[in-house]
Amino acid sequence: MDGVVTIVQESRFQLTDDNGVSHLFVLGHDSFAEPDQLTPLQRRQERVTVHFSEGRNIIGFIAHSIEAAQ
Amino acid sequence: MDMHPRALENTNSEFSHVIANESELTAGVLIEPGRSYGFFTDTTVCIGCKACEVACKEWNNLPADNIGLTGESYDNTGALSANTWRHVAFVEKKSGCGGSSVRSPEELPFQSGWLMLSDVCKHCQNAPCLEACPTGSLFKTEFDTVVVQQDICNGCGYCVPACPFGVIDVSLLDGKAHKCTLCYDRLKGGLEPACAKSCPTDSIQFGELSDLHARAHERVAQLHEQGVASAYLYGAPGGPGATGDIGHLNAFFLLTDRPETYNLPAAPTRPANRVMPALLTGLAAVAGLALTAFAAFDRRT
Amino acid sequence: MSDAAGAIDGPADPVAAPSMATGVTRGDSPAWQGPTYYGRPALKEAPFNTWVVGGYVFLAGLAGSSAILAAIADAARPDEAEATVRRGRYLSLLAPTIGAGLLIYDLHTPQRFYNMFRVAKRTSPMSIGTWILSTFSVFAGLTAGLQFLADRVPRWRWTRGAARATSIPAAVSGAGMSTYTAALLAATSTPLWAAAPAALAARFGAASISSGAAALSLSEPAGPTRDALQKVAAAAMGCECLVGAVQSRAYRRTGVDEALQGGWGVVEKLGGTGLGVVVPLGLHFLSRQSDDSGHLTRLASVAALIGSLLLRVSFMQAGNVSARRPEISFRFAQPDNLPRSRAARRRTVRGQR
Repeated sequence: MDGVVTIVQESRFQLTDDNGVSHLFVLGHDSFAEPDQLTPLQRRQERVTVHFSEGRNIIGFIAHSIEAAQ
Repeated sequence: MDMHPRALENTNSEFSHVIANESELTAGVLIEPGRSYGFFTDTTVCIGCKACEVACKEWNNLPADNIGLTGESYDNTGALSANTWRHVAFVEKKSGCGGSSVRSPEELPFQSGWLMLSDVCKHCQNAPCLEACPTGSLFKTEFDTVVVQQDICNGCGYCVPACPFGVIDVSLLDGKAHKCTLCYDRLKGGLEPACAKSCPTDSIQFGELSDLHARAHERVAQLHEQGVASAYLYGAPGGPGATGDIGHLNAFFLLTDRPETYNLPAAPTRPANRVMPALLTGLAAVAGLALTAFAAFDRRT
Repeated sequence: MSDAAGAIDGPADPVAAPSMATGVTRGDSPAWQGPTYYGRPALKEAPFNTWVVGGYVFLAGLAGSSAILAAIADAARPDEAEATVRRGRYLSLLAPTIGAGLLIYDLHTPQRFYNMFRVAKRTSPMSIGTWILSTFSVFAGLTAGLQFLADRVPRWRWTRGAARATSIPAAVSGAGMSTYTAALLAATSTPLWAAAPAALAARFGAASISSGAAALSLSEPAGPTRDALQKVAAAAMGCECLVGAVQSRAYRRTGVDEALQGGWGVVEKLGGTGLGVVVPLGLHFLSRQSDDSGHLTRLASVAALIGSLLLRVSFMQAGNVSARRPEISFRFAQPDNLPRSRAARRRTVRGQR
């Protein structure tokens, strides 16, 4: 999913996609991203691409990797 | 309640900035590093609206979990977990306080046929989770609260069985331990925690601990005068919940029934006091057996 | 709910148990009779994989005790027991290798395992254990390495003395390895684990020594060394029996023995006590009566090893049961189970209660 990181709390972030819909992501334990790397993304309001999978029993997604959008 | 004089300076509906020391206006307390802050939760005025649960989830960007209905009165959250840091408990009682029925024509001091409690991390003074943490991830902040540093925690999960209240949990999604931070980031910005701010009846009161204790004791005395003999403080120094060397709970409660009714232990203990007796006895046993071994192996016997 | 020893303020009378929505009352058990919150757990179970961590505890005890017994054998009979000493030193490598691997695998964020070395906290047996494991790994590793050199290059006589020197700290930290895991379990709020910390530590320590002696005597030919190892094993098992009785009494008194009445309690009795103590002792006795070629004693050793592993795993599982059931956890967290202060103890002695 492509979008802009709008909220960051610890290892959780909110991504607002191009349609203006916001989604909640949790950094998965197998992702190599660290929570500290999320805050600069939110500050710069960069467009990113998030690779994710669905979570069980939560309303949210598990983020596996985040890259700068093309 | 008197209005804080600075409130008159901030009367617009939309703000372009954070109000400095907003907690003075909303909670009547100035947040300064070096003091003890916590919650006093007065369950007699809780209306079970769950604004605290929602505010906590919104501010901390926590995903909704435990989806589905439980059939346990209005409690569909169930329990505190890695993604649920505020949980409102509901207990429907057939008889109100003082033994009279809920349908009695007599007016009772408060709606008492229904117990409602907003459960949260107790931020214990001698926090067992903190004492158990082998990485030093759990620490006491400058506001005397207990917080998990997410960049250090390696998800060993030892804090989980250590907590006598069953609060902290390891998230299987991101592999680390999570719990209420008492809105550490809000405190640093001079804002009171989200749950306390959103509580419409001021059941959750945020403030400096000494202040809260005074208020709480006053409220208990008031309730006793009104005939609610079963009102007491849970987590105040020397009372239930603050037993066994835990010290006191920074987030303490005013309850009107046994703690177990609200899923709280009556007399929790500090696990760290069991470390030395266990280690020393174990070493003594091994030493004794080692001496036996030496005797068995010794050529001279 | 007021207590003579230390005014615990509570409701003046226990309020009648609300019968709607709460109240999982168990009629005839010694466990908590009062209300619970919809029968929901009041504590959280440990998120460890019980087989992985139980396996580690077993290996830690085995390795630590092997180091101790090897050092003792080396001190008492250095020439006769040379093979035993060698085996013991190599066996003690099990914990630093497989054991540490199991621990790292069980972390929920294994890539940060090194954060365990950030602190040394005396209130956390997991922190203490990290350092015990590290110390043991270093010295057991050195000892095994020197032993290897001593075998491969016999003309380097200094290796024997050096190995003997490093085997002492290995044995001392091995004693820690054999028993700190009980402190790890006891320093939690899980009722079954916390109810009798000292007895649990003695039990785990004895089980470790018995597993070390069993492992070493497994491939030991008949002779005075094997006899000595069997005596040690028997002593350890006897100790286990005694401590087990103390444990049972403590669990009955504190109201947590319900947790041991389910399936895992059966495993603990049959596996931990049965296979771990009764069967080996029985087989030892039989082997003394008959002229045994060694089959019975080997069987006894295998039984002791399996029993030792089952003891740890079943105890951890039963502990999780006690955490998950509010009747047990509420019964445990009652004022009468609070550790009595010295003042209260003195008052009882003077008969003022």
